[in-house]
Amino acid sequence: MLDTTRFNTRRRQRRPGAWLHLKGRHVGAWAFALNRLAGLGLVLYLILHLFVLSLLAKGPRAWDDFVALAKSPLILPLDVILLAGILYHGLNGVRIALIGVGIGVRQHKTMFWTLMVIVAVLLAVGTWGFITV
Amino acid sequence: MTEKNVQFKVFRYKQGDTAPHYDTFTVTVNERTTVLDALEAIRRDQDGTLTFRHSCHHASCGTCGMRVNGKEVLACVTNVMELGTPEVVVEPLQNAPIISDLVVDMGGFYETFSQAHLPLIRESEYLPESDVAEGVPFHMRLESCLECGLCLSACPVVGTDPEYLGPATLAAVWRVVQEPRGEDPEALLAWVDSEQGCWRCHAAMECTEVCPSNVDPGGAIMALRGELTRRKIGHLLGQG
Amino acid sequence: MNTKQSGTWAGTLWLLQALSGLLLILLLGSHMIVNHYVVERGLRTYQDVVNYLSHPWVVAWEILFLVVVTFHAALGVRSILLDLGPGKGGRRIINWGITLLGLFAVLYGVWLTFQIK
Repeated sequence: MLDTTRFNTRRRQRRPGAWLHLKGRHVGAWAFALNRLAGLGLVLYLILHLFVLSLLAKGPRAWDDFVALAKSPLILPLDVILLAGILYHGLNGVRIALIGVGIGVRQHKTMFWTLMVIVAVLLAVGTWGFITV
Repeated sequence: MTEKNVQFKVFRYKQGDTAPHYDTFTVTVNERTTVLDALEAIRRDQDGTLTFRHSCHHASCGTCGMRVNGKEVLACVTNVMELGTPEVVVEPLQNAPIISDLVVDMGGFYETFSQAHLPLIRESEYLPESDVAEGVPFHMRLESCLECGLCLSACPVVGTDPEYLGPATLAAVWRVVQEPRGEDPEALLAWVDSEQGCWRCHAAMECTEVCPSNVDPGGAIMALRGELTRRKIGHLLGQG
Repeated sequence: MNTKQSGTWAGTLWLLQALSGLLLILLLGSHMIVNHYVVERGLRTYQDVVNYLSHPWVVAWEILFLVVVTFHAALGVRSILLDLGPGKGGRRIINWGITLLGLFAVLYGVWLTFQIK
């Protein structure tokens, strides 16, 4: 909230969570916020993945037990969420890489929606792959 | 002329208050009433202590920047009926300290912005087919930026990092790089080539969305990056 | 002229983040295809993993993937932390912390690879 005890005209209001204040904001701000959230999710997944891989050092029993768990149908929705995060972050990342050096800036919104269609298609294909493999 | 009663929920804060609050006023508006008109009516007829800034009343000066229903606008050209809501929420710009009610302290911004040394006039890119008056070599116009602060309020990075140069200043630097007019573009490029400069931007593009004057700060920031990237690669290849 | 942290590291890091991201499309894409769609029933058994890692080029590719993804993740987390406006001392802590965490992750991953026999 506002600092009403010391009014310092040179200090701006500090709002560290500003990137999450999306009311009244447009596509670009949402794309950025979602990119970050997806990135954070992927970092957590990476840490989890490295821990899981440590089971390999414990030998075939430990690993194969885990593989049996990972094939359970309860894990499928989590895999879909993971794939969605990967596709979103990756494809929006391409958009950021392009506009970030000045390519296609004026078309950034069209780029976003086009990429989202691709995300949806690939997500559908990937989910079908998870189910049928 | 149709008239309607509209509620205005206005942010209030005076020095010494422990917290801000909102006051609600009812104003009769017609199809031509702007938010600024309504605020003036409130101050004139209902509450003389309401503080807000205004000047030109036609989107040239940038003085009346504020948030209306959560979006950054110039109040003088924001039509109340076109907002389409029975209640209109009026709040000051974000990311700047509040002096009183809807008036924020723009001092910090001016201090940073003035270092871009943006000239007041520029070549005009409009009216290319029009005839130039006798004795005039080509059209000139004022620079687009009104220094209204809407972009600074909308930018998520300005909100999170007070040291960020911000979209207005970066856009001004790009203009000087494009059209130096006696200023030093190299020094300015070095200034923005930093962690608090053009690389801080996260491409939310809210600045461009809210700018009332076609400055396209987001585009300018990306153009600065493009220019700096080209130089980096050229440097790398030149040395390799 | 008010120069805060001038110099080209900021831009270079941003470009490396963008490039590593693009490279990851190839690395992560191939990783997922090779580990899930080339194997029967989509997940390798212990023996499958041992066979897979017996090819030196595979090991090299997976380690490359590990390095690039850790680099990209570390820079990404650093970017989020920098947005908290930490000040000079805070920035130094973040830079060191992120570098050490990243190095640890890579070293751990490489060590783990050679544990699997």
